[in-house]
Amino acid sequence: MSRAIRDYLVFLGRCGRIAFVGDWRYYAWMGLLSVLCLLGLNAYARQFAHGLVVTGMSDQVSWGVYIANFTFLVGVAAAAVMMVIPVYVYNNEELHDLVIFGELLAVAAILMCLAFVTVDLGRPDRFWHLIPGLGQFNFPASMLSWDVIVLNGYLLLNVHICGYLLYARYHGRKPARWFYIPFVFIAIVWAVSIHTVTAFLYVGLGGRPFWNSAIVGPRFLASAFTAGPALIILALQIIRRVTNYGVTDRALLTLRSIVQVSMLINVFLLANEVFKEFYSGNLHVASSKYLYVGLHGRHALVPWIWTAIGFNLLAMVLLVLPVSRSLRWLNLTCVLCIIGIWIEKGMGLVIPGFVPTPLGEMLEYRPSLNETLVCFGIWAFGLLCYTVFLRMAVPILQGRLCKANERAPGGRSPAAREPAIGRP
Amino acid sequence: MKPEQPSSDPAPGPDAGMSRRSFLRGSVVFASGLAALAASLAPLREVDDFPSLEQFAQKYYKELTPAEMAKVLKRIEDEVERQYGLRPHVKDLKPQQGVQFVYALNLTRCVGCRKCVHACVAENNQSRTPEIQYIRVLRLPDGSLDLEKAEHYYQPQSVPEKGYFYMPVQCQQCQNPPCVKVCPVHATWQETDGITVIDYDWCIGCRYCEAACPYWARRFNFAQPAIPKDRLNLDMAYLGNRPRRRGVMEKCHFCVQRTRAGRYPACVEVCPVGARKFGNVLDANSEVAYILRTKRVFIQLKEELGTSPRFFYYFDV
Amino acid sequence: MNDKPRVSAALFLLTAMFLLLTVSFSRRGWMEPPPLKANALLDPELVRPTTMRTSYAQLIRVQADLSDFDCYACHETNKPPTLRFDGSNNLVIPKEHSDIVMAHGQHGRNNNCFNCHNEQNLLLLQTRDGRQLKLENCPPLCGSCHGPTYRDWEAGAHGRTGGFWKKEAGQTTRLICADCHDPHSPRIGTRTPLPPPHPLHGAGRAWAETEH
Repeated sequence: MSRAIRDYLVFLGRCGRIAFVGDWRYYAWMGLLSVLCLLGLNAYARQFAHGLVVTGMSDQVSWGVYIANFTFLVGVAAAAVMMVIPVYVYNNEELHDLVIFGELLAVAAILMCLAFVTVDLGRPDRFWHLIPGLGQFNFPASMLSWDVIVLNGYLLLNVHICGYLLYARYHGRKPARWFYIPFVFIAIVWAVSIHTVTAFLYVGLGGRPFWNSAIVGPRFLASAFTAGPALIILALQIIRRVTNYGVTDRALLTLRSIVQVSMLINVFLLANEVFKEFYSGNLHVASSKYLYVGLHGRHALVPWIWTAIGFNLLAMVLLVLPVSRSLRWLNLTCVLCIIGIWIEKGMGLVIPGFVPTPLGEMLEYRPSLNETLVCFGIWAFGLLCYTVFLRMAVPILQGRLCKANERAPGGRSPAAREPAIGRP
Repeated sequence: MKPEQPSSDPAPGPDAGMSRRSFLRGSVVFASGLAALAASLAPLREVDDFPSLEQFAQKYYKELTPAEMAKVLKRIEDEVERQYGLRPHVKDLKPQQGVQFVYALNLTRCVGCRKCVHACVAENNQSRTPEIQYIRVLRLPDGSLDLEKAEHYYQPQSVPEKGYFYMPVQCQQCQNPPCVKVCPVHATWQETDGITVIDYDWCIGCRYCEAACPYWARRFNFAQPAIPKDRLNLDMAYLGNRPRRRGVMEKCHFCVQRTRAGRYPACVEVCPVGARKFGNVLDANSEVAYILRTKRVFIQLKEELGTSPRFFYYFDV
Repeated sequence: MNDKPRVSAALFLLTAMFLLLTVSFSRRGWMEPPPLKANALLDPELVRPTTMRTSYAQLIRVQADLSDFDCYACHETNKPPTLRFDGSNNLVIPKEHSDIVMAHGQHGRNNNCFNCHNEQNLLLLQTRDGRQLKLENCPPLCGSCHGPTYRDWEAGAHGRTGGFWKKEAGQTTRLICADCHDPHSPRIGTRTPLPPPHPLHGAGRAWAETEH
């Protein structure tokens, strides 16, 4: 038993050490991310000291970029499942070795989600009030309580799956199917649930007609399954470039077809929503009017949403055309998807729900510099985590970091033993 | 020299020297990183009100024994005295039996003078900067209840203005409150006398209740509230007007420190035209019971949402 | 090894950045948010529950000087005052009572002092059905024409109530008609409203006067 623990600790130690070793590009990238993280942490310390007054939020618009980013990232985390389904349900060979990168992205995304929610809290020191048993957990009435359960559960699921698979590979052992396959299938269902629960946070509020619509849940899933795989397409190409991990073009094209279908559904659902809001001429459309055309002289979001719609439509057209089978066009399309959906789901969903207020007041929102720094800091933190995960995972998967080469002959320092990022 | 190799894949032997150098180099970077990390937390040195262990571990309101509550009340009195130099009297008033509060507001009478707004601010120790006001008076054009047409910032020479009527909105103390449903930690709940209250020491400040409220009745402390010392109302209640801290929600609580002692809320007492009526609807002799019995036209705002407010707007016919 | 200088450069730059950040963060006032502009405080007098006017009943309550209401200091007993009307049948207010503005009812419908006052005994009010009321007890008189309002007032639904809603806990303060309504000019006048709200981020005021 103690030998198993010792082995695991050595494994963790090596993984930890390898995160600090790399070539100049690695140091430059990690350095940039660290600096952004520090700026973000400093900005958050200022927010903790002075209160949320340092953000651009107000009683009228009481959720802002923090929750917008949270919503987008829950979608990204859920979309990791998009790779799991072809591999484990349909036994797709191409994607088989790449699924783990999607799951690692899900872990990083969930960490970012938890960070965004924490920085949004007015009293984060009271987080323990949320712990069932210790605090007062309003389950099942409050959708936020559901969100706490599903997000943390999803995190644990993916950490377990990735951790186990990597550790088994480190040992050169075939992973025991019963120890991870059931969890993979649970994760498929769980992924849909995390995003549905997040959608229900908004849908369940009868006092905000912009959100109180059945289409929000399906739109969330459609846009998540567009932006998530798009991010993975880009990430896999970076992995291929920086390490020489085998990522076939066919794998990327499989992911492209997922993005394609999801974007078509997303645009269709958008059309549904626009029709419903504007055709009948009833009075509950103030928020939609504010978003798409401006209301009572306030139109800050109009250029944003039309950029998003433009990007999404262009991406949809490109995805449907064979031109996006070429990687350069595919990458452009993915970038358009990600930005378009970030705007549409983030600012284009959260802010119009608050403008006008339920009493008809128009007060606009603009994120403050401090708020923006915190957001960059958390994004940098997420990317930092993901890079570290990849820095550990790729050598393990390639067999260059394994139990067999744990102890090398001669007086080498530990750093000297760790394998390179690049070509071996 | 050594043959071409990728940077961090050192050859054996002479690399022992390089690895010591790279270790030192790494340590310098790491140390400077740690220094930056520590320095990034510098704004925290401005914080003079970190929660004490007692405050951090304080139990949920409904789980406090009377002895524990007495300690909590004393702690609050000490804190207020420390901050404002005046010692308040903080009580924990429980709801009374056989009481269901109802509020009725006569829209024929309201002139839009906003005295209720400011009387509430004075009574309930609300922050002046940033400004928190539980009551928001809307000016609506005659003939329409479309809140999109509401003007919040009217400031004419005199009120009432011709062609408009005025509708003050505050927490409607709904019988089916959406804010209670969504709070993840049960920091807000409805008591047996009908008042929806907030335990300011339990709220985590997620603002989900503020998003859920269809009447925009809840307020958040974005900054440390600023109450002038000479305006502090020292007659306080735990669930009512004791001073709040940044990061927690607050809202109208029907002046719980007054109403549970049998008095009218501050807004009712100050209204110069008697547009506001409050009382125990279970008492057939109360004015609110009379109003609900005899008036033919009254409105519950956004009735279709199923919140079933205890706040009735009526007209004098 | 051709990468070694690049690695050194990257790490050097990184260390420099970290040190720069350390120094910046530690400076007092680094990115300190500007203090909020303090909102003007309201005069507490403006939120005291005052009445619209001071009625005769209120003067009695506070035991003030009632000499202004000693009618027979000027009028002769047993000599009912004569009313004078102008060409268009409007009541002419005598100069001794020039503070009175007669506006009780539109189109001069209530243009006769003795609809309410008792000409035989100026210290009393009278109803149409002959009830004699003390000057400080006007509600039955007002109610003899304003029935629904009087009914509401009796129940506590018209006019402000204050003090205690719970009768067992203390007294409810009630007002009479004349505490708010000038009997000669009963319509409630206009007043200056108290200041509008100040939103946290200032932008709301811009729309304040937009017509729509």
